[in-house]
Amino acid sequence: MDPIRSRAGRRFVHFVLLSFTVYSLVPFVWTGMQSLKTVKDAFSRTPLLLFEPTMQNYQDVWIRRVPENAEAIGLGVLLVVALLVGLLLSARSLPIDNRLVYGFCLAGFGLLLWALPQLVYMQKFYDYFINTLIVTALTIIISISIGCLAGYSLARYAGLAAVVILIAALAFRALPRLAFVLPYYWIGSLLNLLDSSLLVVIALVAVNQPFTIWMLRSFFMEIPKDLEESAMVDGANRLQSFLRVIVPVAWPGIISTALFTLLLAYNEFLLVRVLTQSNWTLPVAISRYTGNESADEITLAAAASVSATLPIVVVILYFQKHLVKGLSAGAVKG
Amino acid sequence: MKRDTFFAFSSPSVIIMLLLMVVPLAIALWLGFHYMTFRNIAAPEWVGLRNYVDVLGDARFWRSFNFTALYTAVVVPSWVVIGFIIALFLDQVSGFVRGVYMSIFLLPFITVPIIATIMFKQLWEPSGLLTWVYQQLSGTRFRMNETSVKTLIIFFGIWYVTPFTIVVYFAGLQTLPQEMIEAASIDGAGRLQKIRHIVIPYVSSLTVFILLFSIMDSYRVFDSVYVLSGLNPQFKADTMMTYTFSTAVQVQRLGKANAMAILTVIGIMVVLIPFLRLMYKEQIAER
Repeated sequence: MDPIRSRAGRRFVHFVLLSFTVYSLVPFVWTGMQSLKTVKDAFSRTPLLLFEPTMQNYQDVWIRRVPENAEAIGLGVLLVVALLVGLLLSARSLPIDNRLVYGFCLAGFGLLLWALPQLVYMQKFYDYFINTLIVTALTIIISISIGCLAGYSLARYAGLAAVVILIAALAFRALPRLAFVLPYYWIGSLLNLLDSSLLVVIALVAVNQPFTIWMLRSFFMEIPKDLEESAMVDGANRLQSFLRVIVPVAWPGIISTALFTLLLAYNEFLLVRVLTQSNWTLPVAISRYTGNESADEITLAAAASVSATLPIVVVILYFQKHLVKGLSAGAVKG
Repeated sequence: MKRDTFFAFSSPSVIIMLLLMVVPLAIALWLGFHYMTFRNIAAPEWVGLRNYVDVLGDARFWRSFNFTALYTAVVVPSWVVIGFIIALFLDQVSGFVRGVYMSIFLLPFITVPIIATIMFKQLWEPSGLLTWVYQQLSGTRFRMNETSVKTLIIFFGIWYVTPFTIVVYFAGLQTLPQEMIEAASIDGAGRLQKIRHIVIPYVSSLTVFILLFSIMDSYRVFDSVYVLSGLNPQFKADTMMTYTFSTAVQVQRLGKANAMAILTVIGIMVVLIPFLRLMYKEQIAER
């Protein structure tokens, strides 16, 4: 659309956008404030906008017993995190192979997450956090690997079978989760598989496959066929030409799809709630804070919510372009 | 691509979908004909159509059906209208400012639904910010009852998914051909006329896309209702999904819950089949 030029008009545009900003942010800001309050402040009848912030709730959510040398450990952890993040952000300008840098950072974060409970006596919440990371990572890896193969073949094969699979996948994308989850529960309890993270991962991969293959297919269709054909003339077979020629070109689309898989796996509540008894991921763990009526749970739930939301917000904001591209890719073409 | 290569490439994905989506659906259908609780889970008892008769005569099931229909009827048009309007405004700014607005508007959508609901709920606790605002404005106490809980569920639904429609419409607006707008300006069309006669028809295919996915997703809404309908146990504001869930987990009638799940599948399929046929024809023509 052509831009509004008049001064009053510009003011109105910003007024509307700012109002919508406030509307979008209110729950986040309020929860953030509650998470920094003492129980007494949080229960004040008139909402307190000014208060003395405390980190006690976060400590209660994460740490069971504060060790004596807490300050030294905290400083060390901060230092390592700062170092790794700095390395990640400057990876592109370093003269070393980027993959090496990313691998090093990944190993560094893994080591940190492993070492922390050895140094500090952590709450169960930390275990749920680690479990969530593992389930999410495994789901992304498996789902994207098999999804890429299927998405690519669906983009290139013109037979009737491809159309049938696509339409069936669309139908399955629409079905309510419960129609699958209840039978999973039944099979799981017959085979004594309940509470295994592996079952959760496989179920997550399956229920997200329809979406994944549709999205990846749309990205692979954008890539011209000549590309792999010239590679195949040079003697590479289909799989080799796919892995060496197509995947590098399709990489941005694959990242977009991986982001959505990340959200779907990290967000999943119902499936994990039914298939696990104690090996929870964060959404299920946090929902436990809201069941009871005990007084200090409001502030704890707030701190837990903020803790679980921050990592995902950081990741998504970093990859925001890919997310927006993914959202609009399906739509504009669809 | 040859047929054999196609099947080799797609088989991992197709097999996992067959094993974990088609087979479970068949099992759900089979379990729906059985009386089963957590106690006789290894040996369900065949009861034929009794579960279905039971569900169709269950007043709470129909109440949950009605609320699901109301939810869809209010929430889906709100997503479309609010998303379109905000996308038009977002289109008026550019560069860094636009990026910042976009990031903020996306926040609800990227938050875990359960957690976003808990955050929303914090506003309506007895000591919450909006409870206080409501009490100042209306002069009455804010109480959790069936109506207020249902209103909160609908409000949350609108708040949570609007970012999706904003992004989709915004992406569509970026591809709007400038010549069409310019031609209309030369003809002396006002802004509202241009929106009505050019922009809205131009994005109509997006609207169809959004409607399809919105109806699908609002029909099977679970997470937010699960958290919010627990607010006042006396007045359950159940949707079909949460009612099915509580039938399985709290009432422990697993067979009946499976029958309900099958009924909801049939319900969504009735809506979906015309669209699937359309897509099928489109794909056949495209290849």
